[in-house]
Amino acid sequence: MSLIRKSPLHDVAAALQPEWGAINDMPVALQFDHGDGQRMATLGIADLSGLWRHGLKGPGSIAWLEAQGIVIPAVNSWAELAEGGLIARLGRTEFMLEDEPNGTTARRVQSLLAVERPYGVYPVLHQDAALMLTGTAVQRLLRQTCSFNFMALDAATQPLVLTTMVGVAVTVLPVATADGVHSRIWCDGTYGEYLWHTLLDIAHELDGGAVGLNYLILEGKSQ
Amino acid sequence: MRLKAIPGEWIDRSSEVEFSFEGHAYRGYRGDVISSALWAADVRLLGRSFKYHRPRGILSLANHDINALMQAGQRLNVRADVEPLAAGQQWRAVNTFGNLQRDSGRWLNHLAKFLPVGFYYKAFHTKALFPLWERLFRRLTGLGKLDFDTPHLRTPKDYDFCDVLVIGAGPSGLSAALAAADAGAEVVIVDENARAGGSAAYQRGGKAERYQRVNELLNSVVRHPRIRLLTSTTAAGYYADHWVPLVDEQKMTKMRAKSVVAATGAFEQPAVFHNNDLPGVMLASAAQRLIYRYAVQPMQNAVVLAANADGYRAALDLAVNGIKVAALVDLRGKQAPSRLADAVQACGINIFHAHCVLEAEASADGNGVAAAIIAPFDAEGNADAASTLRIPCDGIVMSVGWAPTANLLYQAGTQMQFSDAVQQFIPAQLPDGVFACGRVNGIYDITQKYSDGERAGRDAAAYVGYESATTLPQIAAETESPSHAWPVVAHPKGKNFVDFDEDLQLKDFENAVQEGFDNIELLKRYTTVGMGPSQGKHSNMNALRILARLTHKSPGQVGTTTARPFFHPVPLSHLAGRGFSPERLTPLHHRHQQLGAVFMPAGIWQRPEYYAQPGQSRTDCIRGEVAAVRHQIGIIDVGTLGKIEIYGPDAAEFLERVYISRYANLKIGMTRYAVMCDESGVIIDDGVVGRLGEQHFYFTTTTSGAAPIYRELTRLNTLWQLDCGLVNLTGAMAAVNLAGPKAAEVLAPLTELNLALTEFPYMAIRETEVAGIPARLMRVGFVGELGYEIHVPATYADALWQALWQSGQAHGIRAFGVEAQRLLRLEKGHIIIGQDTDGLTTPLQAGLNWALKMDKPFFIGQRSLQIVAQQPLQQKLTGFVLAAGYSGTVPQECHLIIEQGDIAGRITSIAWSPSLQRHIGLAFVRPDLAVENGAIAIRLSDGSMVNARIQPTPFYDPKHSRQHYPAQEVAA
Repeated sequence: MSLIRKSPLHDVAAALQPEWGAINDMPVALQFDHGDGQRMATLGIADLSGLWRHGLKGPGSIAWLEAQGIVIPAVNSWAELAEGGLIARLGRTEFMLEDEPNGTTARRVQSLLAVERPYGVYPVLHQDAALMLTGTAVQRLLRQTCSFNFMALDAATQPLVLTTMVGVAVTVLPVATADGVHSRIWCDGTYGEYLWHTLLDIAHELDGGAVGLNYLILEGKSQ
Repeated sequence: MRLKAIPGEWIDRSSEVEFSFEGHAYRGYRGDVISSALWAADVRLLGRSFKYHRPRGILSLANHDINALMQAGQRLNVRADVEPLAAGQQWRAVNTFGNLQRDSGRWLNHLAKFLPVGFYYKAFHTKALFPLWERLFRRLTGLGKLDFDTPHLRTPKDYDFCDVLVIGAGPSGLSAALAAADAGAEVVIVDENARAGGSAAYQRGGKAERYQRVNELLNSVVRHPRIRLLTSTTAAGYYADHWVPLVDEQKMTKMRAKSVVAATGAFEQPAVFHNNDLPGVMLASAAQRLIYRYAVQPMQNAVVLAANADGYRAALDLAVNGIKVAALVDLRGKQAPSRLADAVQACGINIFHAHCVLEAEASADGNGVAAAIIAPFDAEGNADAASTLRIPCDGIVMSVGWAPTANLLYQAGTQMQFSDAVQQFIPAQLPDGVFACGRVNGIYDITQKYSDGERAGRDAAAYVGYESATTLPQIAAETESPSHAWPVVAHPKGKNFVDFDEDLQLKDFENAVQEGFDNIELLKRYTTVGMGPSQGKHSNMNALRILARLTHKSPGQVGTTTARPFFHPVPLSHLAGRGFSPERLTPLHHRHQQLGAVFMPAGIWQRPEYYAQPGQSRTDCIRGEVAAVRHQIGIIDVGTLGKIEIYGPDAAEFLERVYISRYANLKIGMTRYAVMCDESGVIIDDGVVGRLGEQHFYFTTTTSGAAPIYRELTRLNTLWQLDCGLVNLTGAMAAVNLAGPKAAEVLAPLTELNLALTEFPYMAIRETEVAGIPARLMRVGFVGELGYEIHVPATYADALWQALWQSGQAHGIRAFGVEAQRLLRLEKGHIIIGQDTDGLTTPLQAGLNWALKMDKPFFIGQRSLQIVAQQPLQQKLTGFVLAAGYSGTVPQECHLIIEQGDIAGRITSIAWSPSLQRHIGLAFVRPDLAVENGAIAIRLSDGSMVNARIQPTPFYDPKHSRQHYPAQEVAA
């Protein structure tokens, strides 16, 4: 496999010398050390930028997605894709799709839009820094970094929040899992290192830190 | 002296705490504050006053004892009246010279007559003496000694949320919290004290009932699942939409409440009489706090100065705890019989109606009270100094009135009005979602306070949608005023203090008003009343009463000064908190680091200014990078440029409207320079527009313009309702510029694209692959050489860089930074928006007429430019050169061009050109001077002049021959 893609967080993760794996031609941190599991339970921060994602917007986007058999979530919410992964509705006519490691929907959408150019559908390239926050102290971290009241959200309704975190525009969605509610966060990749460093600093004060993907999605503990 | 154990006391008698003060060792208990522990050890001198260095002790014991500020190491100006006692601390009083007892600043007390009100202003009036006074004041003023090695404290900041925020956990606040929570609201209640309960816990009137009732209420609050009680937490300000910063020892929490209940209570106010600042003269509530919180005897033999029922209760609290009360002096005339008065008299306490304390007689050492001199006091507030009575005592307890803690209400926009009935300002109209109860609402009767709190809590809950079914309680009016209208006694010797922070006496106010400062805002600034660390919490109300009397107005007519956040001093570490300064890095940042880049901020980005080379100066490094581009091959990260796509049938029309040039006729596969103006015709951005399809364009903006330009274009698209859509790819696409005569040779092995000029001409755009990576290539030439701007998805940027770097090794590839780029573009005469233009520059002034298509139906700024074009040009951007071989001081950007003594222009860019071997630059000059080879004179910072000559741009390769290359396909 040719690893020619690089996460916006690659170099900061590399400084922690993790055990590496690969997703979609991109090196990903599988495990930082034996403390990953403990940190995940307390406050774990994982880099999920390697997951394939693509977006679209425009007045024809809903009809086009429906024609592809893709579920349309309500505005400011998200839904699971049939092949795994999620579709997030970022606005009235704007969507982002993200595949699980073995999913193909987002990649398929990207390929179709590169060829078809249907009327009123505008492809949106997503090269985000994508994070997952896990553990019991997530709310404490969110309260230090974001003025939005995430406690008021019901994860079961699959809400999605567009807000700012430590001064960076982010998309946040809480995900209910067997291990509790995790938070997925996406931001422009060029803010990725800043966001990572800032969240990690706070996480360390809360006895958390970076965690690899082994504990999250590669061993079946997916969203 | 410690009293025997008292129910509800805060101290833990099983845990002794050792500490020192002014070098002497003391012991207190866990739960003590510094002042209570010292007072228990019979220490009366706790500090010195700010101006006169007079001895001071406990006044309020409520976080406002500004004359008992202390320092321990790097912790300075700690308020001893609320600072919890901790083992091993070594405290010293601030604002002393030498030590507290023998403070050499004491002599200032004897110079009071030479330090009149407004002394600072008067001293600085004489210019010649300014330095003398400045040195003196700098030496005398300031509290505490700052240690500049104090480490930077990083404190977190929290956001928090609730339905109802109750500020103040006294009887009314607790009642409000419970009522709101019972109605269904999520409630947070905060109190600055270490424990909740408020005045009901210590204003007991000699009985246990008040304490027991508030304790039962507190237990209900603590147990309630929808109430969070935060003690030792100050609600420090009020901001729009019920945003209240909550400050505790560790951090600041930004509380966003849906409604707010102010149960903030009232500050007890001192009486004004001669020597009212001696240690041993204290507010009644301070004495009661000493007794019931810390089990400390405030004094042995007290005189109580009262003007309300609280004073009578204070006398009873003293009496039942073994303190002899020599007399109760009531400013008021004979009152109607009451059970309180009967109880006082039953304790054997003699009551003097219509009397005042004329002065406190100092003890022999001057650090305490020996007696109270009382005198008859008539209804107009005049003391009969001829009929005095000396009552020996070691302490005077003052209970003459209150001032509402209405700061947050004022900040919220509450309209307050002065109530003669209770002699204080009370809310007349509260903002939406803000409620008040208890003393701040003018309610003092304890039973009424509970009812008022319940009412406010239920109102607040109802405001956020939690209605209660039961009837709201009725609140009865107060039967007597809790505050005296004139608790002020004149004295020929003065030293009857109104403001204890600033040592302001009654006569200071009289003099200020006489000098014309007869408005409350002017009076505040001239006298500095209320400008000390306690911010007037004990002085503003008396100052207001004094001003009202002096100007023959009512207190309501005088009004109050503006209450601004913060209500209470907040540590700078809390305000600063953790720094959140967003920073953007391109995906190639670490490549630049590996190459030794020296970074510079470019807006929110970090960009390589140049790449440091071992043993080379900055200038040599930059010139080396320039040489690489001119003679071989250079590569620069231009990923910070704004990158936007537009799709749709109206995409071309949209671009026609936002840029000054024409794009409807742009061929697919070609690019065109793009200048954007605002509606006044001023240049705000530039970039390149490329056409990828009939309905598909890809265009760039400046680095700094990326975010605002996209935002503005989105706004315009919404406004115009054109059939097109914008996609911001600034962060999603990385970009590098490969520039130099070897660019084609470096690129050719990595792509199947035919790079021949005929196939990929200058200003063309192509979508292809480079090193197997999907890419967009633009043949642009900002730096004046053959160049390829290569745009790829950001995750591929590193792979692209590696491939180009490897391919370029055989050609001597070198990374170049922003400084080299600036120089290269200057040689080419290309402008930088924001450097070579300013907030008034039009395309006509910048020499961009060639790009301006005024015959278009419409573009933003067109109408203004039509008008501007009718006027003569005021300035014109033009090139200039210094003389070859010039070796003097080089002019800098913004240096002025002078013509016959007048300003005739300014330099916007200047640099040494390696290609031309002389200094070149761009400047705005008067049009009549902008003639080829014309002479201009540039004034340096030292006033000397440098001659230069106008030269057309481009300075380098004016025929652009270096960009029309290669003619043939390049071998891979």
